[in-house]
Amino acid sequence: MDTRAKMYFDEVQEGMALPSATYGPMDRHKYIAIAIILRDMNPLHLDRVYARERGMPDAVQQGPLNETYLYRFLTDWLHRPWDIRKTKLRFSANVFPDDLLTCGGTVTRKYRENGEPRVDCQIWQQNQKGEKIIFGEATFTLPERK
Amino acid sequence: MTTPDRKTLIGKVLREVKYVLNEDDLRTYLPVCEEDHPAFFSDGGAQATGYERRVIPPSFAPHIAVLVLLRAFDWEDFFFDYKTGTAMFGEQELAYLRPLYAGETLTIQSSVADVYEKQGKRAFDVVTVKFSAADQQGAPVFHGSQAYILFK
Repeated sequence: MDTRAKMYFDEVQEGMALPSATYGPMDRHKYIAIAIILRDMNPLHLDRVYARERGMPDAVQQGPLNETYLYRFLTDWLHRPWDIRKTKLRFSANVFPDDLLTCGGTVTRKYRENGEPRVDCQIWQQNQKGEKIIFGEATFTLPERK
Repeated sequence: MTTPDRKTLIGKVLREVKYVLNEDDLRTYLPVCEEDHPAFFSDGGAQATGYERRVIPPSFAPHIAVLVLLRAFDWEDFFFDYKTGTAMFGEQELAYLRPLYAGETLTIQSSVADVYEKQGKRAFDVVTVKFSAADQQGAPVFHGSQAYILFK
């Protein structure tokens, strides 16, 4: 269960950091389930020998599973999971078994769209070595204090 | 061998794909990704959160985008040999117009929006596919784009 304190639209300020979250260690057994869901049996994600033959240190975690943790960083913290409105993400490095993924973000804009309170932020995910895995932008809504 | 000019792909309409937000995939996904919000498990849990019925986790949506687009084209359509070539995900954009509900059927339309060449250590093409997903009533529920980096 996520223990980060939730915030309201009134309390958010441009430039402030979102409460970070760390996930892991990553588990290679999950790659099988994700391969089944994606209907994508690329051995790069499932066979460490195959991955090593292609210059990788181990099996490569699927990109959408990396994204899961960046999404959870936001949606576990939001008041309601579907308060997320959009994401724009770039993938810059691979994730491997036993990696730890830390996610964070910074508020860049606070505004209203069609009356709905909206917050834009820069978000990122990095591994235990400080290498950026994913970075980009997200937009969500937050409730106002009554 | 020279790769054909992928710019000729711009505007190409890809196959329509239908995807049911099905119980098998959700039952696999929820524990693996430790998505434990009550709204993901029952109508009651969802209604207590303010949704009309059971929703899927937003984190599942990028998986839907990836899996439906992998069914919308064959790699040969992009002049790419998946077995011998190297492909990577590039930028991805997703915009949600409403929550996604467990059990609903989505219809995804997609097309090639842009192709451009870049030069890194190796030359590669960036192929951007735009898509939109609609519900059974034909109302759009989410849309976005996915770029594929195809090394030459």
